[in-house]
Amino acid sequence: MKKSTLLHLAAPVASLGLALFIVLGAAPGMAHKAKHTPEQLKAFEEEFMEQVRIGDLLFHGDAATEKKLGTTLSRTGMACAMCHPFAVDNHPYEFPKFQEQINKFSTLRDMINWCIEKPNEGEKLDADSDAMKALEAYIYWANRGSKLDPGRH
Amino acid sequence: MKNQEWKENKKNKVRSGPEEGRDNRNEITRRTFLRRSLLAGAAAGAAANGLFPFIQTIDVAFGAEAFSFAWISDSHLYPKTLNTRFVEKVERAVNDVKAMKPAPDFLIYGGDLAQLGDPVELELGAEILKAITVKKYYIPGEHDWYLDMGDKWKKLFGKPNWTFDHKGVRIIGLDTISRGPDYWSAKKMSPQERMGHMATLDGSVAGPWAGVGRDQLDWLGKILSDWPKDKPVIVFSHNPLYEYYPPWNFWVRDWRDVQAVLKPYSKVTNIHGHTHQVLYNEIGKMRSIGMLATSWNWPYPPEGVPALTTPMVRVDPGDPFDGVGWAKLAMTAGDQVNNEYVMWRKDVFAQTQVDSGTGDNTNQILSPRIADR
Repeated sequence: MKKSTLLHLAAPVASLGLALFIVLGAAPGMAHKAKHTPEQLKAFEEEFMEQVRIGDLLFHGDAATEKKLGTTLSRTGMACAMCHPFAVDNHPYEFPKFQEQINKFSTLRDMINWCIEKPNEGEKLDADSDAMKALEAYIYWANRGSKLDPGRH
Repeated sequence: MKNQEWKENKKNKVRSGPEEGRDNRNEITRRTFLRRSLLAGAAAGAAANGLFPFIQTIDVAFGAEAFSFAWISDSHLYPKTLNTRFVEKVERAVNDVKAMKPAPDFLIYGGDLAQLGDPVELELGAEILKAITVKKYYIPGEHDWYLDMGDKWKKLFGKPNWTFDHKGVRIIGLDTISRGPDYWSAKKMSPQERMGHMATLDGSVAGPWAGVGRDQLDWLGKILSDWPKDKPVIVFSHNPLYEYYPPWNFWVRDWRDVQAVLKPYSKVTNIHGHTHQVLYNEIGKMRSIGMLATSWNWPYPPEGVPALTTPMVRVDPGDPFDGVGWAKLAMTAGDQVNNEYVMWRKDVFAQTQVDSGTGDNTNQILSPRIADR
């Protein structure tokens, strides 16, 4: 290999390292070496609660939020909260577990999609989509403080 | 709960009356009267875990002639173009009532015929119920009301509260839904927005909307004033007349005032809708029985389920006809009101904790929603 080729490769690697250094340096919290500032903690919580809020709206059938995220969670007029007010009986703390309706070992996201497709007759979500993560955030948040009990049916 | 424990509990069954002189645990089906199943379920449950106290007194009515009536409620109809599932379920209940032999003396429709108060929804419901030819009485639910503040409902069904006497029983229909505090004017809500907040069970915007109101309490006192204190009274209401779970308005906010009016009467039975689940309670001398919805069932709330309730089974969410139904009720010559839940499945009542909607939630801690604040 020619020297010039090596140099050619080294340049982007060095650039990447520099870029990472800048990112980490600019956000010391990510390295867990500095104490979190109250501002950082507030920002983390705000980011989370924004997702909870979006999930809450989706869970309650808010048409504007659905449109924004391009989802069709129901075609029956029913919304998640009509059977699960306060996210009752969602039991997110029991997943993963064998889920009878799905007849396989399932995650909460699998169960969310089952409810969207079966009772609600909507379109299932990509498991890593923004809407799915928001729904998950709301359901976990609404059940926070519940005891973890994975596998329980 | 382990099977072994439940087998042992069967031996501990309480036998408190002639009807309980045999092992009727095995007879708990959809055709089982509430009285019998409460006794059997309560005995087993209490022996196992102390959740359900024994029921000693179920009889409610003395001096009445035998008669039967039917209850249908909480059909939550959308326009047919959007949702036919709820239509099919109320039609099934209507066909069941039509098939009753002998026919019931009357039908009570207990509110929430419509989902969003749309005249199309209310007219659809009225049309479906026309197939029932016995005398029909209607009380409103909040879903029927808050689009046009009851205009269409009143045109179709008349006054929201009423009374009549039937075979020795004073029968009263209460309006527990129309006196919600004004949450819409200051925020300049459209009728649709007002209805939307009212239709969200776990919403916070409509506040404690369920109530009987001073004017109706006075009316209630007046219509009972000439009724002997020891004669039976049946009160129909959309909401429960006690404090069950206020965050979901499973109550009327002035329930203490209601109880004060009813207190002198020793044989009062309240039959209510709204909660979409098997429910039983006693407040003072008043018995209270919660009816099933035809549309969908609600899980029990995280707290406040009356200790006297034998919980219903966990419902299969994949079966639209599960956990829903209607009820046959009978005022018997044996001086009691019997209730028979018709749930379109074999077993109505949970036989073990794990199969119940209450005992299964021991790990659950919930928080109110936030996005509507």
